[in-house]
Amino acid sequence: MSTFDYERYDNSIHRLGRIMNAIGILALLALPFFFSAALGATISPSGFLKGLLRVSITYLPICIVEFLIYVPILGPGGSYLSFITGNIINMKLPCAYNAREIAGTQAGTPEDSIITTLAVGVSSLVTMLVIFIGVLALIPLTPVLNNPTLRPAFDNLLPALFGALGAQYFFKSWKISAIPLLLMIVLSIAIPALIAQTTMLMILIGGIAIAITYYFHKKGALQ
Amino acid sequence: MDYLSQANSKALYLMVGAILLFVVISCILFIRKSYRAGIQMGMDRKVLRTTITASALFTILPSVSILLGVIALSGSLGVPSSWLRLSVVGNLSYEAIAAEAASQAMGVSLKDAATTLTASHLVTIILVMTTGISWGIIATIFFGKSYSRKSTQMLNKSKKRDGKSFADWAMVAMFIGFCGTFIGSYVAEAVVFKHFLPILTALIAGVIMKGCEYLVKEKQMVWMENFSLSLSMLIAMASAVFIAY
Repeated sequence: MSTFDYERYDNSIHRLGRIMNAIGILALLALPFFFSAALGATISPSGFLKGLLRVSITYLPICIVEFLIYVPILGPGGSYLSFITGNIINMKLPCAYNAREIAGTQAGTPEDSIITTLAVGVSSLVTMLVIFIGVLALIPLTPVLNNPTLRPAFDNLLPALFGALGAQYFFKSWKISAIPLLLMIVLSIAIPALIAQTTMLMILIGGIAIAITYYFHKKGALQ
Repeated sequence: MDYLSQANSKALYLMVGAILLFVVISCILFIRKSYRAGIQMGMDRKVLRTTITASALFTILPSVSILLGVIALSGSLGVPSSWLRLSVVGNLSYEAIAAEAASQAMGVSLKDAATTLTASHLVTIILVMTTGISWGIIATIFFGKSYSRKSTQMLNKSKKRDGKSFADWAMVAMFIGFCGTFIGSYVAEAVVFKHFLPILTALIAGVIMKGCEYLVKEKQMVWMENFSLSLSMLIAMASAVFIAY
């Protein structure tokens, strides 16, 4: 509709996102101090600094790269929500992609921004609802969910997710897919320690896939 | 009061509940705003509703997996802290790694939580877990607007310049990269460690997904499009139980 002012909507999404995420992170950082007051406990400054150093060595670069990669994919609303609610690679990102495929929108368009925000928002709510119900039923549910017979199902959630998505995306263009997939297989077989480093390798393999795409696109070989 | 009773005390539940309520409100505000904007923009209500349904359906299974993470962590951090940590920021692998790193930094371990951890350990661990993963949120607050606009401009510029967008292909490529990384690691796991279950599960999910695509495109079973990802995952995960059995 011609009366709709997307610029105004976009500004309001950024304003809402900034306010909500600022309050959210401040509340989350303050919570351990409230816990301390309630429990009569004390935060160990040296334990905190040493722990933070150990965690940050790995996760600070990952957080920065994730920000750079995910924001263009998730759009403004989807990004603010995804970063505060977490579980991006295993849930929010595939969910946004799934919604985009179904709605038939293209990244960077106003319609896509609406679709990704809706997808991530609904996904976040459903997750919180499932966990809430689960926490209420935690005691009776624990033996069922922890049943060794069912463990392989939940242990293989990511293979099921990426198997299904892989079938969808690899077939869009084998020209793009072949080298990154083969490279990952060869690298991981040559250096088995890399099998457990998928988060870091994702950046490398994703970068290579984009470089290949650029090459074929320049040559006009992608349809 | 022993450690686990403290870690599961009502006061902690109330504080965690308050923060989660805030996050729920935040989600509702975003959903309402974008849904209304979609309508004003002239988007089909059916498309918007389908997005909501498909996203909700897709999320259920991974959420159960996250719930398992809450259960796993609750043995050492208590239910409220685990509930919070897995409902906001981060993910299961991060939370487990960060909690163990923070414990080790204080000379204790999550493995013997009930006997070795104290409430002071708990609050320090939670602070480390939160701070260590907060950089992405902080980046969205300070750079989200400018970076989002710049990247959108680049996406749209490439569309105008190239006719058929490089940006759209780049998005596909990025996801191919993600899928390739995981599928590649499952193939290597099978070759190196003879662990065949992950790659078999992935293959089953892939075959079901292609089957669903066939039904949607060739047999005009359009309704199936919303379920195809969830259905593929569900059948593949159920198959994993039978293969492992």
